[in-house]
Amino acid sequence: MDGARGGVDRVFAALGDGGRRSLIEAVATRGTATATELAAELPVTRQAVAKQLTSLADAGLLRATRAGRETRYEVTPAPLEQAVEWMVSVGAAWDERLAALRHSLARKA
Amino acid sequence: MDIEREIVVPEAPDEVWEALIEPERLEEWFATEVELDARPGGEGVFRWGDGDERHAVVRELEETERLVLDWDDGGSVAIELEPVVEGTLVRVVESSPEFAPALELRAFAWTALAAA
Repeated sequence: MDGARGGVDRVFAALGDGGRRSLIEAVATRGTATATELAAELPVTRQAVAKQLTSLADAGLLRATRAGRETRYEVTPAPLEQAVEWMVSVGAAWDERLAALRHSLARKA
Repeated sequence: MDIEREIVVPEAPDEVWEALIEPERLEEWFATEVELDARPGGEGVFRWGDGDERHAVVRELEETERLVLDWDDGGSVAIELEPVVEGTLVRVVESSPEFAPALELRAFAWTALAAA
């Protein structure tokens, strides 16, 4: 809300799926990972993993590095920070709104 | 994890209630431009000066007590009024299904990065 949502929307959309969250955790646990490595330990196909990794990289949650024929991914926590900052800003927006509500009521009285 | 805020205002709940459901009153404090069909299932559009626009559906409405809006992005906001000696306690709870995962993942990612 209040304009700050732009990039955060993509982060929240990416986080909205339990499978993608598990993938981020799997990548974070390994440090770096490829779709092949992750597919070997998760109950999903390599293609499905690769697709999810791409969307997480698009949302800025993973950094992709080309390594030979494979792409290696690592977690970039910065967008998660943005998401948390956005939550703080939602709280601040309510502080402002409730102060405005107080004024509006006082004017009406 | 939800975002919660409370204030106490000197007005009675029925006065505060009008400011929650009448669009022209909502425009004084909630958003710049408001359309709201204040009944269960009714739709609302909230626009802010910075160009942001959010759409909502009224999930619950109990006059002078409770208004719950579901945002089209999956989140919701509940505004509850409770009569108190000083006037009315206004409690706002904004929730989003992604708040908790964002916090958990952040904690997890930093822990994993620190261990790597």
